[in-house]
Amino acid sequence: MRRTILGMLAAGLAMALGVMPARAQPVLHAVGLERQYADVMRQIGGPYVRVIAIETNPDTDPHEFELSPAIAQAFSGADVIVANGLGYDAWADRFLAGSHATVISAQAVLKLPDSTKNPHLWYDPATMPAVARAVAAAFAARDPAHAAVYHANERAFEASLVPWAQALAAVKTRYAGTKVAVTEPVANGLLRAAGLSIVTPFSLQAAIMNGTDPAPQDVTAQQALLAPGEARILVYNEQVTDALTQSFLALARTDGVPVLGVYELMPATATSYQGWMQSETAALARALAAGGH
Amino acid sequence: MMLGGILASAPVREALLIGGAAAVMSGVIGVFTVLRGQAFAGHALADVSSAGGALALLLGISPMLGFFGLGLLGACGLGAQKRGDADLASGILLGAGLGLTALLLHFAASLRNVSGAAVSVMFGSLFSAPPGEGSMVLAGAVAGMLVLAVISRPLLLASLDAELAALRGLPVRLLAAMFLVLLALAVTLSAISVGAILSTALLIGPPATALRLTRRPWTAMALAAGIGLACCWGGVVLAYASYDWTPGRVWPVSFFIVALVFSAYAAASWRRA
Repeated sequence: MRRTILGMLAAGLAMALGVMPARAQPVLHAVGLERQYADVMRQIGGPYVRVIAIETNPDTDPHEFELSPAIAQAFSGADVIVANGLGYDAWADRFLAGSHATVISAQAVLKLPDSTKNPHLWYDPATMPAVARAVAAAFAARDPAHAAVYHANERAFEASLVPWAQALAAVKTRYAGTKVAVTEPVANGLLRAAGLSIVTPFSLQAAIMNGTDPAPQDVTAQQALLAPGEARILVYNEQVTDALTQSFLALARTDGVPVLGVYELMPATATSYQGWMQSETAALARALAAGGH
Repeated sequence: MMLGGILASAPVREALLIGGAAAVMSGVIGVFTVLRGQAFAGHALADVSSAGGALALLLGISPMLGFFGLGLLGACGLGAQKRGDADLASGILLGAGLGLTALLLHFAASLRNVSGAAVSVMFGSLFSAPPGEGSMVLAGAVAGMLVLAVISRPLLLASLDAELAALRGLPVRLLAAMFLVLLALAVTLSAISVGAILSTALLIGPPATALRLTRRPWTAMALAAGIGLACCWGGVVLAYASYDWTPGRVWPVSFFIVALVFSAYAAASWRRA
C-alpha cells in the first residue's frame, strides 16, 4: 500500500516536472529605475523576463527618492537595468557601478550631453523606441534562446506607438505654434512634439523643478503669461506641487486659462507606457480646445 | 535699467513686507536678547522652530503657524529650566529640535509632494512666500511690538539688573516668560524670511552692531531695527539685481541679507577699534 502511494507521488512529481519546462519561466531579471522604463521592459521581455520597477509612487518627488535595503537587493540579482540618466536617478549610480548587469541609460542611448537641462526624457516620442531597441538587444545578448521573441516584441512595441504619434500629429496640425505656459519641464518633450511653443522662462521651470528660489523677474513674466490672451493653457506637474505652483494655478483659474496636470512618473492607473502617453495627449487636446476663449 | 520694475514685481513686494517686518521685530527683540545674554537660547528656539516649518509643509498649513507653534513649545522648554543650566538646556533642546526637523522633512519629501523643503525651511525662500503670508507676518510683528511696548520698561530693567528689578517688586519671572514668547515670535518671523538656521543672524547681528555704536538701549533698539531693515531690503534688491549677473538665476536672498548683516557688524567693530 505504502509503495503504491509512494509510486503515485513519484509519478505525480515526474508529471509535474515534465509539464514545467513547457510553461514559460522567467530567465532574466531586469530592473527599471522608473516605472515607465520597467513597463517597456515588461512588454519586450514577455514571460521570459521578471521586471522590477524601483520608483513607482507617483505621489512623491522622484528627485528626492531615498534608498531602502530591499532596493539594494533587487539590484544584486539583476541582469539588465534601465536608468534614465542626466542625474535623475543619480542615487543608483553606486549600485550600477558595482553591478554585473547590462546597464542601459536613456541618456546614453540618445547620446545626450550631461549639460542637457531637462531630464524628463520619456515624454519625448523619440526616447522609448531607442530605449526599447537597446533593451531588446540586451535581453537577446543575455538570453540568446529567446532572441527572436524579444525582437518581435520590440517591433510590436514600436508599432503600438503609432496611435500616439498620430494623436500628436493631429494636435500639431490644429495648434502648431500655440503658446503654452508650464510650471516644470516635465512634459516639454510631448508639448514640443505637438508643435506647441513653451513660453515660460526655462530658469523658472528649473527653479520649481529643483526647489530653488525662483527669480522675481521670472515670476512676473509667468504671471503676465497667465493673463487672458497670452498662454492658451498652463501645464503643471501633478506629482510635485509647491506654494508657487499653487499660486500660478489659482491665477490661471481666475483668468480662465485651462490647467492640465501631467504625471512625472507613470501612474499606477496607467496600463502601459503608450496608453499613458495617449491619455496625456488626449487630455492635452481637450485642454487646448477649452482654452483661447 | 537693471532694477527697472522692481516694485512692480509681486514677489519683491511680498519679500520687502515680510523681510521688513521680521527685521524690525528682530532688531528690537534682539537688543533685549543680547542684553540678557540669551543669544544661544534664541538660536536654539530657531532650530526648534524649524521642526514647525517642516511640519507646516507636511500638513500644508501656514509656515507662520508651524514655526511659531514649535517656537512656543521650545520657549516653554527653556522657561522651565533653572537659570544656571540655560546654555546646556538650549543645546539639548536645539539637538532635539533639529532631529525632529530631519524626521518631518523626510516625511514631507516622501509622503507629500513637497520639493526643496529642506532648503526653504533652513535657508529661507523669501521670493516664494505662500500667498497671504505677508499680511500674517505683518500682523504678528505689530502684535509683538504692541506687547513689547507695554512691558518694555520693566523688561529692560529686569534685563539689565534682575536683582534690582526683583527688589523693586517687578514680576521678573513673568517678564522672562513673556520675553521668551516674544523671542519665539521674533525667531518665527526671521525664520520665515531667511530660514531657521540663518534667523540668528537677523536676531543678533543688527542689535550687536547697534550696541557697538551706542550704549543707550532705546537708541540701540531704533538703530538695530534700522540696520536690520536696511540689510533685508538691501538683500532683496541685490538678489533681484543678481538676475542679470548670472542670467536667468537669482542668488539666494538669504545670502545677501546675512552678508550685509555681517558687513555692518564688521564695519561697526572696525570703527570702534
